This record gives sequence, structure tokens and C-alpha cells, in this order.
Amino acid sequence: MDSNRLLDPTDAFFSTATVGRKKKTGTASGTRQLRGNYKKLLWFKQPFPDNYTDEKTFLDHLQRNPRLQPYEFWSLMADATVLVQHLASVAIFCCCFVAIIHGRVSPVAVVGWASLCTVLAWVVWDHWMGQELGAVNVPLKPTINASETSPEATPTLSPRTQQRLATAKSAVLIYAAVLGLSPILKSLTRSTTSDSIWALSTWLLMMNVAFFDYGGGTGAQLPASISTNSAMMASAVLASRLPSTTHVFSLTLFSIEVYGLFPIFRRQLRARSPWGHLVLTVTLVVAAWGGLFITLTGSGWGAFVAGAVLGGVLTFFSMGVCSWWLIGLQKYKNEIRGPWDPARPIIRRHWD
Amino acid sequence: MLYNIAMVSDNFYPQPGGVESHMYQLSSKLIDRGHKVIVITHAYAGRTGVRYLTNGLKVYYVPFLVIYRETTFPTVFSFFPIFRNIVIRERIEIVHGHASLSSLCNEAILHARTMGLRTVFTDHSLFGFADAGSILTNKLLKFTLSDVDHVICVSHTCKENTVLRASLDPLMVSVIPNAVVAENFRPLSPASTDPTHRKAPGPPQPMGPDAIITVIVIQRLYYNKGTDLLVAAIPHILAAHPSVRFIIAGNGPKAIDLEQMIERNVLQDKVLMIGPVRHEEVRDVMVRGHIYLCPSLTEAFGTVIVEAASCGLYVVATRVGGIPEVLPTHMVEFAAPEEDEIVEATGRAIAKLRAGKVRTELFHNQVKQMYSWTDVAQRTERVYDGISGVMSHNEFYQGAGAAAAWSATLGRAGVQSFSLIERLKRYYGCGIWAGKLFCICVIVDYLIYLVLEIFAPRSRIDICKDWPKKAFQDKDKGKERMKKKLINDTDESSGLLRKRSSRSRRQQREEQDES
Repeated sequence: MDSNRLLDPTDAFFSTATVGRKKKTGTASGTRQLRGNYKKLLWFKQPFPDNYTDEKTFLDHLQRNPRLQPYEFWSLMADATVLVQHLASVAIFCCCFVAIIHGRVSPVAVVGWASLCTVLAWVVWDHWMGQELGAVNVPLKPTINASETSPEATPTLSPRTQQRLATAKSAVLIYAAVLGLSPILKSLTRSTTSDSIWALSTWLLMMNVAFFDYGGGTGAQLPASISTNSAMMASAVLASRLPSTTHVFSLTLFSIEVYGLFPIFRRQLRARSPWGHLVLTVTLVVAAWGGLFITLTGSGWGAFVAGAVLGGVLTFFSMGVCSWWLIGLQKYKNEIRGPWDPARPIIRRHWD
Repeated sequence: MLYNIAMVSDNFYPQPGGVESHMYQLSSKLIDRGHKVIVITHAYAGRTGVRYLTNGLKVYYVPFLVIYRETTFPTVFSFFPIFRNIVIRERIEIVHGHASLSSLCNEAILHARTMGLRTVFTDHSLFGFADAGSILTNKLLKFTLSDVDHVICVSHTCKENTVLRASLDPLMVSVIPNAVVAENFRPLSPASTDPTHRKAPGPPQPMGPDAIITVIVIQRLYYNKGTDLLVAAIPHILAAHPSVRFIIAGNGPKAIDLEQMIERNVLQDKVLMIGPVRHEEVRDVMVRGHIYLCPSLTEAFGTVIVEAASCGLYVVATRVGGIPEVLPTHMVEFAAPEEDEIVEATGRAIAKLRAGKVRTELFHNQVKQMYSWTDVAQRTERVYDGISGVMSHNEFYQGAGAAAAWSATLGRAGVQSFSLIERLKRYYGCGIWAGKLFCICVIVDYLIYLVLEIFAPRSRIDICKDWPKKAFQDKDKGKERMKKKLINDTDESSGLLRKRSSRSRRQQREEQDES
């Protein structure tokens, strides 16, 4: 900090040095007559009126955009994939629901494939955790880390098998709970019209998209709870429109997989393998647009291919345009910092 | 020239605080100088109506809805009728608002300009630019200050801040610091501490290496007062200097952190927390120590460190906001707002005190020369003279060599025109949307004024009598001032002019009173 500049003015009147005091006072009165230098100080009377503005020192500590980091196009595009992935997974969920409620797809098939993918993802996850354990000799910290990032594992410092068991246990618990709750969910909104349900679930899914935690590396915790909760509620009210308990059970389980577990896997995947992340993004975008076109047109694989190609191109270009737009907007950024901002205290460590 | 001044703010006694004491001290000194001053604030619990304080300071406690921490609900217009009534009753010429977060003050400035009065605004605090709350506050301030005659800030940092926040011409912003009543912050008399009773301060007495040095901290224990830094630094300071004691006064949400720190480090015998103290007891706490530690994170002026220095304490302060401007370097040890720096600076201060390098016994008289409310009142008076045209425009804005630079803002900075269209021009520049919104507000305000003039005409409003004591203080003080002016032979002709004008004013007033 160059704030020493504020402090250098000679203590003309009240110097502690008894020897130099008289001499300095003399010079001070001399400068007073000569309309000497203006000082940003309050404790002595300056030979200037109160509203005098010194052009040299006025606002000399002003900083504009001190921590500005110009965005780069490709890194912005890479960051945008996170957003696209989530939007695509929401779209896929909606398409699946429409397909189920129209009877085009069996709900068991949907949840079966989704569960298969979940199990595969969990295997990959388990492999990563093993790598992490192997990489670091001290097994204490990674275990804590793993138990934090994995939603189902109970926080324990025991070996991996125990952790796997815990995961399996909580999976079974969730399975059983959803199974038990399905009949209740089925009749949850019987007295409400479908229109209200569509409107409500639309708003809830929009909330999910708006409040989703797009940032953060692997260290970040579970996705923001308001986002997950609103998605869960949306799927609960949607499920209550379905005709049988099996349907309700399947859709609820599917939504837990899509909104609860999938984001955690995506986060981990992005941190671990950029290529895997890219492949997943492309797959999701293709599936989402294809599914959307099938749902909208009601026709078969032709619509899927057309949707995938058109949608993929559209997604890519809109990502590019938004990135350019953001970069263009950056020139309007005008962050003002100065001595009036509350200082950020720097504390070395917390006392314990 | 003598003025009728109305100080308006949400913050006034009985609530304690910096703005409150500033308003009170400034008002009473202005009354001493012969002006008539009233204070308008909102009603406090158990405090409504009109009250007279010492010196004939009249306070209007206006009933108003209080929403948050003694700030009234911001309705743009609802204050106007009663404000107009008070202003006409008291024949106010200058409306002086305090504190930017006070909605009463913001409203008063708007209405005063609508009524064609001179307005001054004093800013007491610093605001950032980043967070949403600040952005909103700054926009509001820009609205209020679009049409104000002059702004007073308590420090240079505060001036820079206000100029940026409200897009003002720097020349219409004066820096007039706060002051302290030095008599209330005397150090312990030398007789009681030193039996030898030296009149003239001899060579400094070094303290013994084991003599107890007490560090005083008096602050509300909030985040922005830097309590976290205090919590982090105290154990290190005490570990490095075993014969140091802390006395911490104040209350707030961070008190629990301090207590936990004390318990964890077993410092009960070294750190004493005495809870909140009243402002008049602050001195009694301060004189128990040798060093004052101010770990604040933001501070517009930092009156408390001046008070501490006045009590003869060596000050350790963080280098934030206006604090570096307040005291000369031989009274303060500065630190960056970092734990390590605070520990270091306190260490330096302790070492200096032990070596006897600091003449703390001289601080009181030095502070007394630096800051006095009389001086503040004088400087404020100059502002009043400048805006009401008594002091010529060029004299008031002297130092502005580049006339072209400020001629564009002449309307704002100079003797302002009250015509509605001129005012609207000033408000319109506030922003694309905000400008239009503000213009609508101003037009509505003007319409309300016209309606009030029709349905509550001035002729029906009683003119109240002035405080009787004032009238004859006027003469004495006025004459004294004239004498001083003549002796100082500053400007004889203008002095005579002023004399005449004040006398004629007084005569007019007496006639009015009699009628």
C-alpha cells in the first residue's frame, strides 16, 4: 500500500523532536504566506478555504477496476457447458415425463436405464475415490473429502468397503422410502386441475434452473438446496398426475437420480476429465434436443436426428454469441475502490 | 450575517451517537454566535413535541413512523406539510440536513428547495460502491444532492467519497472536521499521578520495563469496527508483552467472540470487559490506560481517537478511511487492517512508551488547539455566508482558477436559481430512468407546495417568538464579532455592511414580534 504518502507531511506544529521544533514552525509559517502545499490532513489549519480542492491529491487513492480479469472466449465457452448440461438434463427429464404420461415409453424402462447409468457412474466415482486414496498416502483427509462430496456416504473415517456399504445402505433406504411414499404421492393432487400442476411445475423447474449452483470445483458441497428442493417438488407434483403407483415410483426415483445425484457426478467429471465432460455435454445436448423434437412433433427417429443437429448447432452458436456479448459488456465495468471502502481484515488463522 | 437555521436529521438526542453530538454541539455554538437554530427530528419513545435544550436550542420531535434503527420510513412527500409549517413558523432561511441515511434529512432538503430555501447537507459516513444497498443509497443521495447549495464532509476521504457518490462539483463540498469538547476529555491531572507535581513538562520519564501498560478499546463490538482483528490480535500481543492489560468497553454481537477468546486463552486476569459505557463515562475509562487501540475497518472521521488523544493516550489505529488525516503522526501508530500489523504496531507503541519517547502528557493541549466546536461553527458560518450570497461568489469559490471548469455547474454551486425548470434540469441528469422519476417527484412536490399554499396559507401560520435570551446575546456577540473583525482588519467595508444588515434584520424582527 502506498498510503504512507498520506503520512509523510512533516509534523510542522507538533514535532516531537525538540531540537527541530522552532525551525520547522518557522518554515511552516513561511509556507503559509506562500500558500504552501496542500495536505490531506485535518488536524492543522490549512491556508486554504474549506472547499478548496487540490488537483494533485484529490482522489489520488482512487482505483478503478483493480481486480479486473478480462474474460477469454474459450474459457467462457467451457464454463457455459455447465449451464448447458443442466438445462439439457432438465429438458430430458421433461421429455421423459411427457413420453411417460402419453404412454409412449414405459416408466420402468426409463428408470431402469437411468438406474443403470447411475450404477455405472457410481462405479466410476468409486474408482476415482480409490485413485484419490492411492494418490495421497495419508488416508485421513481424502476420506473426509470423499464423504463430503458423496451424498449418500455417512461421514466416517473407516476404509472404502465400509463407505461402499454405507452408500449401498442409503441407496436402499431411499429406494424403500420412495416405494413407500408412492401411493401417497399418487393421490397428492387429485383435487387440483392439471393446468395448475403444469404451471406450478414450470415455475418450480425454472427456480431449479435459476438457483442451481453452477460454479465451484469438486470441493463445493451439494448443489444449493433450494434448487434441489424445488426440482423434487416439481417432480412430486408431476408424478401425482400419473396413473399408477409404478409410474409414480419410477418418476420420483428418476428425478432423484437426475436432480440429486447427476449434478454431483457432473461436477466431479468436469474436474477430473475435460474430455469426458465434453463428451457428456455433447451427449446431453443431442439427447435433449432430439427428445424435444420427438416430443414436439410426435414422430420418430428422423425428428431426433433433425433436432439433434439443429439444436446442437443452435446451442453452440448461442453459447458463442453470449460469450462474445459478455466480453463486449466488460468494457462497461466500472468498479470504484478507494480508502472509503471497508477494509478487509486479514487474520492469519483462527485462534483455537 | 445572522441566519435562522434548521438542522434536520433522524438522529438526535435522546439517542446517543456521533451525528447527534455533532448536531448538538454545532447548533449550540452557532447559537453562541448569534444565529437562531432549531433542530427537527422524529419523535422518540417518550419524547414528542417541542423541547428546549440548553442555550435555547429548540427541538421539534415530529411524529413519524420509525422502521429500522431509528430511521423513519422513507415517504417522499409526507413530511412536507408539517415541515412547511415549522419552517414558516420559525422563519427558517437555511435548512441543514445531517446523515445520508436519514430519510427525514433527504426529504427536508427536497422540500426546502421547493420552498425556495438554502440547503446544506453534512455527510458523516462512508459508503462503498459495490453492494446493492450502497447502490440504492447512492442513487438516493444523488437525488437529494442534485439540488443542494453546499455539502459539508467530515474528512477529505469523506469528501472524495461523497463527490463520487453524488456526482458533485468538488468545489461545492467543504471539509469541516468534527471536533471534541476537550474539557470533557482531560487526562488525569498531573498532581494525582505524579507527586512531584511538575508544572513545566520536564524530560520524558521512561516507564519501567515491568510497569503495567493498559490498552483501552472502546467501540461497539460490530464487524465493521474490526472486532475480529481485535480477537485475533489480543492473544499475540499478550503473549509478546506479559505486562500489558486490556480494558474493552462496548457491547454488540461480537462480544461473544471476545469472551470466547478470553476463555480459551485463559486471559481473564489480563483482559477486562466492562460492557457498554455512556458517552460521558468514556473519559473515566480512557484515563485508566496508556494506549488506545482502534481496529476499525471503516471510519469517516474517528472522533474516538481524537478523544483518546485528548485524554493523553497514545493511539494505535488502522489506516482506513479518514483516520490517517485526523491526528499528527507523533500521536498515532498506524497499522494496516491485518492481524500481524496490529500486533506489530501495538508492540511499537508499547516500546515507545517504555522508552519514554512519547510525550502523552502534552497531547491534551495539542488536541485542544486542533479541534474545537467554535472553529467548526465559524467554518460552517462561512458556508452559510457563501450560499446565501453574503460572501461574493468569487471569494467563496476562490482557488478555482479555471473558471471555465465550474461555470457549467454554476447553477449548482453558485447562488442557485430556484426556478422549477432549472431544478428539473439538475434532476434530469441523474440517470436515464432515475432522472425522469426524480423529475416527477419534484413536480409532485411542487404541486403539493402550491396546494398547501392555497389551503394552508402562510397568513394563517403563527410566527413564533424567538428564544428571548438570544435577542440580547445577539447584540453583545454581534458587537464582539464586529470588534474582532475590525481589529483583525480583514475587510472593513464588508464588516460594516454586515453590521448594518444584521442590525436592520434585528429591527425588523423586533417589529414583527411586536406586531
